[in-house]
Amino acid sequence: MSGICKSRLAEERKQWRKDHPYGFYARPEKKADSTLDLMTWQVGIPGKPNTPWENGVYKLTLTFPDDYPSKPPKCKFVPPLFHPNVYPSGTVCLSILNEEEGWKPAITIKQILLGIQDLLNDPNPESPAQSEAYVMFKKDKVSYEKRVRQQAKENAP
Amino acid sequence: MSSGSLSDDDFAGSSDFDEEYDSDDGSDMEYEQAGDVGFSDMITEKQRKKAYEVDFSVMPLADILSAQSSASNHVAGILGVTLDQAATLLRAFKWNKERLVERYMDNPQEILDQAGVVLEEDVSPVVKRPKGFVCMICFDDSSSGPALALRCHHVFCQPCYEHYLTQKIVEEGESRKILCPESGCNVVVNEQTIKKAVPQAVLDKYRKLQDRAYVADLDILRWCPAPNCENAIECRLPYSSFTSIVPTVMCSCGYKFCFGCGLGDHQPAPCGLVKMWQKKCADDSETANWISAHTKECGKCQSTIEKNGGCNHMTCRKCKYEFCWVCMGPWSEHGTSWYNCNRFEESSSTDARDQQAKSRASLERYLHYYNRFANHEHSAKLDRDLYTKTEKKMEEMQRTSDLSWIEVQFLKKAVDVLTSCRMTLRWTYAFAFYLAKNNITELFEDNQRDLEVAVEALSELLEKPIEREKIAELRQQVLDKTVYVGSRREVVLEDTAKGLAEGRWEFFTEFAKV
Repeated sequence: MSGICKSRLAEERKQWRKDHPYGFYARPEKKADSTLDLMTWQVGIPGKPNTPWENGVYKLTLTFPDDYPSKPPKCKFVPPLFHPNVYPSGTVCLSILNEEEGWKPAITIKQILLGIQDLLNDPNPESPAQSEAYVMFKKDKVSYEKRVRQQAKENAP
Repeated sequence: MSSGSLSDDDFAGSSDFDEEYDSDDGSDMEYEQAGDVGFSDMITEKQRKKAYEVDFSVMPLADILSAQSSASNHVAGILGVTLDQAATLLRAFKWNKERLVERYMDNPQEILDQAGVVLEEDVSPVVKRPKGFVCMICFDDSSSGPALALRCHHVFCQPCYEHYLTQKIVEEGESRKILCPESGCNVVVNEQTIKKAVPQAVLDKYRKLQDRAYVADLDILRWCPAPNCENAIECRLPYSSFTSIVPTVMCSCGYKFCFGCGLGDHQPAPCGLVKMWQKKCADDSETANWISAHTKECGKCQSTIEKNGGCNHMTCRKCKYEFCWVCMGPWSEHGTSWYNCNRFEESSSTDARDQQAKSRASLERYLHYYNRFANHEHSAKLDRDLYTKTEKKMEEMQRTSDLSWIEVQFLKKAVDVLTSCRMTLRWTYAFAFYLAKNNITELFEDNQRDLEVAVEALSELLEKPIEREKIAELRQQVLDKTVYVGSRREVVLEDTAKGLAEGRWEFFTEFAKV
C-alpha cells in the first residue's frame, strides 16, 4: 500500500483543514526547502476541561511508516510527558496504536488524537510505560495530580 | 487418525479425556504406533503396553481438516448457523464444543458479539459502492469499482481490503480473528470474504494458518517437529501428568519426540527435568561455579586470581598486594612461616572455605554427569560415522561375493539400536544428576551401568574389521548383542517409568511441569 501512503496522508490533511476538534492542531513538518514532509506531523492535544490536564496543550510528533495505513504511526510526546502510559522516550503506549492489538487501517489521525486525549486523564494501569508516573499514580494520587497540574502550566499554549 | 475414525466427541475438549484414555487402553493398533521400530520386532513375547509407553495416534493433515469441518458441521446443526459462522465461534472457544453450546444457549447475543459473528442471511461480501462512498483507508471516492463489506456493512474498496488481509495473513500470520478494518468494529472477516478479496496463494496460507491454530489451540494435539512432516500427534494425557510420565511418541514419518515439550526423545527424564538440565548446561551458571571453586579475589583490588600451583605467598599481579592464599590475610603478618598459615581462623574465613569446597564438590559432580551426557551424544555420532563407512564396505562385499543383501543388513539394525540406547543413556545422566543418593538410586545406577556396559560392548564389536571369512560369525555376535542391548534399555526405561508413576524417585529439586 506504499502507493496510498502519500495520497491518504494528503487526504487526511485536507479533511483536517476542513474540520478538526477544538483546541487541537496537526500539520505536516516543513522540509528545509519549505515543501511539506507528509510523513512527519507536529500535533498538539489540549487537556480536557475540568481535569488536572486542562489549559495545557501537549505536543507530539507523529511519524508515519511507508506502509501506513497498514501500520500505525509512531506517536511521541516532545518533550516526554509525565504520564503512566508514556515511555521515558515520549512514545505513547495505547492499544489502537499497536499493530498487533487495536490498530485498524481505517483509524484516522483525528481518531488517534482524540484517543490520546482520552488517555491523558484516564490512564491504563494495566500497561505502565514509565515507573515515575505509574508509581505516583498508584500510591499518591494527591502528589500525582499536583504534578499533572504543574505540567499543564508548563505546557500552556 | 490412523487408528479408527475420528468421532465427534474426540474433540470435545479436555474435560473428558480421562475417561477416553481409559477406554483406549489395550488398543493393539494404537500400540503398534508406539513400538520402537529399532528392536520391538525382536521381542518375541506378546506385545503389551510397556510402562514407558503412552497411547497416541498419528493424525495426517487430511484428518486435521476433516476434524475441523466435522466439528463445524456439528455446531452449525445445533445452533442453526452457517458453517463459516460455526467455525468462527469454535475458534473463539478453542474448539471446545460443549462449552460453546452451553454458553450460547445461555446468552446467544453475548457470545456472537464476543466472537465477532453477525447472524444474517448468507449475503455476498461483494457490494456495490453506496452513494457518496469514500473508502476510509485510501479515501478513494470514485463511484464504481469492486468493493467489499462484511455483515457490519462497513464498505471498503477491494484493493484496500486485499492489502489489509494480505498484511494480516502473510506478514502477521494471523488467522484466528481478523477483524473488519473499520475503527472499533469487532466483526470477524469470514472465509467467504477472504476468498473473494485475496489471491489463491494468500488464501492457501490463510487455511494453513488455520490448521496451525487448530492444532495449537488443542492441548491433545501437537505437530510432528520433523522437517517437512505435516502430521500431528494426538495424545490424550493431561499436561499435569507429564511430571510422572515421559510421553514419547513416534510419528509415522519415523521421528521420535516428546509430546510434552516437542524436543527429541528424552526418556527417561521428565520434561521439567530436561528443561532444568538444558538450562544448567546452556547458561553460564557453571562458569560462575568454576570461578568460585577455583579462584579467590584479591583482598585489596578485588581482581579474580587463580592459583595455579606453588606456594601460598601470593602477589597480586595488578596491585602488587602480597597475601596468604590460605587465610587471605596480608603476607606481612606471616613472618617467616612460609608454607603454612598458622593464623587464627576466624569463622568467616572458615565459612568462605567451606563454601568454596562445596562449590568445588558440586562442580565436580556436575561435570561427572555432564561429561557422560555429552560423551554419549558424541559417541552416537561416531557410531553413525563408522556405520556409513562400514556400509560401503558391506555393499562392496555383497557385490564381490555370494552374500545376499539381507545378510549384510544386520549392521544397520545394530547401529539404530545403538543410537537409541545412547540417547537413552545420555538422558539417564541428566536424570541421575537430580536424583538424591539412596538405595533406590543405587538400583537405578546398576541398571544404567548394565546398559552402558552392553552398549560399549556392541560399539566395540562394530569397530572390528570385517573380513570375508568371519562375516557369518560376526553377524551372529552382533545380532546377539543387539538383542541384549535392546533388552537392557527396556529394563532401564521400564524401571524409571514405573518409578516415576509410583513417585519412587527422590529428586533433590522440584521441577515444574513443562
